[in-house]
Amino acid sequence: MKFSRVIASSAMALIAASQVAHAQVAEGSRLNTVLERGSLLCSGHNGSFLGFAEVDDQGNWRGVDIDLCKALAAGLFGTSEGNLEIVPISWAQRWPSLQSGDIDVVIKVSGWTQSRDTELNLAYSRPYFIGAFQTMARVDLGANSMADLAGGTICVAAGTSTERATATYLDTHKIDAEMLTFENGDELRNSYYEGRCDGLVEWAPSLAAGRVDAPDGADAHAILSDVIALEAEGIIVPEGDPDWLDVQNWMLSSLWFAEMEGITSENVDEVRANPPSATVGTFLGVNPGYGARLGLPDDWAYNMIKEVGNFAEIYERNIGSGSPYNLPRGINNLYNAGGVFYPMIID
Amino acid sequence: MTDLSMQHTLSFKTVKKHYFATPLNSAITVLLAVFTAWVLWGLFNWAFLDAIWGYGKNEECRTHEDGACWSFVATRWRIVLFGLYPFEEQWRSALACIVMLVVAILSCVPVFWSAKRLPTLWVIGFATFYILMRGGVLGLTPVVERDWGGLSLTVFIFAAVCLLGMPLSIIFALLRRSEMPWIARTMALVIDVIRSLPLLSIMFTFAIVLPFVLPDWAIGDKLYRVIIGYAIFFACYQAEIIRGGMQALPAGQEEAAKALGMGYWNRVGYVVLPQAFRNALPPTINQFVITFKETSLVTIIGFFDILASGRAAAGTADWSFATIEMYVFVGLIFFVFVFSLSRYGAYLEHRLNVGSR
Repeated sequence: MKFSRVIASSAMALIAASQVAHAQVAEGSRLNTVLERGSLLCSGHNGSFLGFAEVDDQGNWRGVDIDLCKALAAGLFGTSEGNLEIVPISWAQRWPSLQSGDIDVVIKVSGWTQSRDTELNLAYSRPYFIGAFQTMARVDLGANSMADLAGGTICVAAGTSTERATATYLDTHKIDAEMLTFENGDELRNSYYEGRCDGLVEWAPSLAAGRVDAPDGADAHAILSDVIALEAEGIIVPEGDPDWLDVQNWMLSSLWFAEMEGITSENVDEVRANPPSATVGTFLGVNPGYGARLGLPDDWAYNMIKEVGNFAEIYERNIGSGSPYNLPRGINNLYNAGGVFYPMIID
Repeated sequence: MTDLSMQHTLSFKTVKKHYFATPLNSAITVLLAVFTAWVLWGLFNWAFLDAIWGYGKNEECRTHEDGACWSFVATRWRIVLFGLYPFEEQWRSALACIVMLVVAILSCVPVFWSAKRLPTLWVIGFATFYILMRGGVLGLTPVVERDWGGLSLTVFIFAAVCLLGMPLSIIFALLRRSEMPWIARTMALVIDVIRSLPLLSIMFTFAIVLPFVLPDWAIGDKLYRVIIGYAIFFACYQAEIIRGGMQALPAGQEEAAKALGMGYWNRVGYVVLPQAFRNALPPTINQFVITFKETSLVTIIGFFDILASGRAAAGTADWSFATIEMYVFVGLIFFVFVFSLSRYGAYLEHRLNVGSR
């Protein structure tokens, strides 16, 4: 970076800093409630949902959703240790529990649908995960995409939106493959593993979870990159609480920003001691403003990254290459790596 | 009704008479015996000979398809039994469970069957259980109710529901049989309404809808709301069982007590209820068994009862193949409890001579 630019951006940062005012957090915001309580009540699961919320040998929660809860708690309080309560709830219970205050936020791979957004009075953050419906095929077929499965058989669950989407996808891409439908999920998977079909279409994390138990080993099966249909999973807060929603959105943005800048849980201290740009300095709380505007401490993003790492670390640790599921990140990558995610601008 | 004292003696003669009387009879017997032996042998093979034992052998289990993988239980049993209870504190959960079992066993011993001893025993047992689980006193770290889980949660819910529900059901039954028509009719309506609702919806209402309606001070923890809801549900069914027992009494019993100048409470306490309970014993035990099994419904409202913690134990990439072993393990625990409950019921029936009057 040119010296003059450094001076220019530092000057800008100084001007910006002088304008920083503490955010006015609305009186009734859940953000205040949480800060006063001193702990965050986050959604867990009644049992386990592979890769997103599971329980280890010691009874501790782990998973993508759990790590996001930890990140949020670390951002709010400096560390999630002692400030985070994972409340086990069922799928059916998540909306009423949020409204009644049993939990402060729902982070539970929940798709953004119109009825939830409008009729249930829920507010969605920007999506943090794209639940894509993808195809799994045996590695020895040598297929790289759906087009390579032409002339083969593809298994899907009968009467689901997946079936319709798969048919449309095959039609529009002029792929001539036979579709075989099954009513029962186990039957569907067994037929695939027994070799009755060349491809199996399901929600990608379920494919990855099922692949772990494949009779011929997980390595014998690959998940193709084609996205047949997708569901955008977001963080949910009650409607009419913009301050609390802002915190969710900026938490996600921060995790992606850190990934973009190559800031990880390991090098965050070095980067903070010697920020490469004024923006990164602001981001990590060296310069004031990044937290105060949200009503949080300025080093909130630093605390988050320090504890759970950037989004790539969260992903790889729980469902990506660092986990038994080994689900390729694909569409869940940052935009510059072929995905749909991006950080917002820090000014 | 079968005579409990009748016993089949297994001698060569009776065997021949019952199972090998005709050639067809013999053929069927042999066929069924072979089939049973084959099934049992397969089961034995799966559960013992081909099984994998020992800690943390999930990789071995994954490639091994013939036998059971008890390594799952060896590795993850603490999740199944204690759920999300803090790992270092799980001895408390175990101890609490044992205390509850001891109390339950003691209260089955006739020595404790008095109006003073039984309640004292249960109050002490319950208080010990609660202090151990909840902590916060005597140097025990506090553990909030939502972290309770596994067997001790199941036992706690069951015991609390029965303890609250039993007295409540007696009150319901007496009100239902009140001579004042309005009270009797209202109670009948209440009982019928609650009985016509599914238990699941009652639990859901008490756990999730009630906080919207109640004032803040009355909300309490979700666990206790659910227990109260469940106890009311239990009481409605049990009240009808007790009423059945009361109605089986000849009217002369109560009239005779009246003629002797006994007051209402004496009549109910010394004449009606003891006999009603004796009559209602078999369906009461049945109701207990059903209640124990239905505690697993609390998983729907986010509690880590033993079934939910079983699913959590198998719900990780390392062990996701071990669902059968998990259900067998949880099933065995349920079996031990329910079977001892029904054997105890049979013992009581025998002792009180319910079968023959």
